[in-house]
Amino acid sequence: MSKVYLNGQVVAHPHEVHEHLSPVSLYNKIIAVLFVLTGLTYAVSFMDLGSASLMVAMFVAFVKAALVVAYFMHLKYDDRYHLFVFAGTIIFVGIFFGFTLYDMKARDRLNDEQETFLRVRDLEATGNPLKVGVDNVPERADKIRKEVEAHGGPEHGGGEHGGDHKAAADHVPAKH
Amino acid sequence: MSQAHDHAHGDDDHNPFLAHHFDTMGQQAGAAKLGMWLFLATEILMFSGLFLAYFITRMFYPEMVLEAHEHLSKIHGGVNTIVLLTSSYTMAMCVRSAQTSNTAGIKRWLLLTMGCGGIFMFVKYLEYSAKFEHGMLPGKYYSAHLHGYEIDGLPHIFFGVYFMMTGLHGFHVLIGLAVMTWIYIRANRGDFSASNYAAVENTGLYWHLVDLVWIFLFPLLYLVK
Repeated sequence: MSKVYLNGQVVAHPHEVHEHLSPVSLYNKIIAVLFVLTGLTYAVSFMDLGSASLMVAMFVAFVKAALVVAYFMHLKYDDRYHLFVFAGTIIFVGIFFGFTLYDMKARDRLNDEQETFLRVRDLEATGNPLKVGVDNVPERADKIRKEVEAHGGPEHGGGEHGGDHKAAADHVPAKH
Repeated sequence: MSQAHDHAHGDDDHNPFLAHHFDTMGQQAGAAKLGMWLFLATEILMFSGLFLAYFITRMFYPEMVLEAHEHLSKIHGGVNTIVLLTSSYTMAMCVRSAQTSNTAGIKRWLLLTMGCGGIFMFVKYLEYSAKFEHGMLPGKYYSAHLHGYEIDGLPHIFFGVYFMMTGLHGFHVLIGLAVMTWIYIRANRGDFSASNYAAVENTGLYWHLVDLVWIFLFPLLYLVK
């Protein structure tokens, strides 16, 4: 006899659909709790909790999300593999957030520690700071200058020459 | 072999919705559901990028985010939260109706869910119109300072994040409404029963995810402190 597999498990009675049927009263309870928690988040937003308010709001949101996922999306009764897919996603979101936010937060301090921009600061100290912007790239600055000259100088950029030429004039290095 | 094969099919042999490459309706539903969960994983990862953009903006410009968010309507956001949570409930009830082969129930709960989605989009329209009117637009389109609103810092960045997050979410609500219309037509045709409701359930999973995203969007954008 050939075996029938469902989600990696041998199915004993393959003609039956194996799904959990939640009672209506459970759905009623869950939606009531979700409304109460929404009211709680709303109320907390008017309290002065300082930096803790974000933590409280996020905690309540996580509880609400867990209720929706577990009961409305049936993950509590579902195949464990679906929980694995979902939890795996959340772990990767955590890695994404953790590393990026840590990098954004720590970058200035690391740059100081490792003297990444020492050369830049030396130039600033000598009163000859490194120029930033388009005129820092000579080839590009030259190209734009030539374009502007071809139009008879930046003062002719707008006016009678129309919109196209105005766009080119906007890139005049002197403007940056 | 052929005998065993017949046994494996059982009653499903006569189910017109069983695709030829599946042995049973249960196996077919399981495959569809796994596919849906994988799709939801990509959705979560997509939205997480926007949430990260929000957190970075908030980390670097806490005062500006605090000041700019005061211009978002807590009432509109709150009403939409209640509406969307209600729609999640009606959607769960719709899937339950499908599990009990109650076609009239599927149609009734589906209409209620679509009604909630419609209310959500209408409130969103009111909210967006007010923002457009006040020039609170993203990036270079920002012109609230010409309408008498002085927000320090980089409010055009905040409104960029606001419109990207709520806009992408609203787009998902619209897609959900379109999919539910299709499910309604199929339910009307009598396609769904306790042995064939994977499409109803997957639509429900998608709709709950849209609700999940809003559960986090609402406190972060409208209620930040």
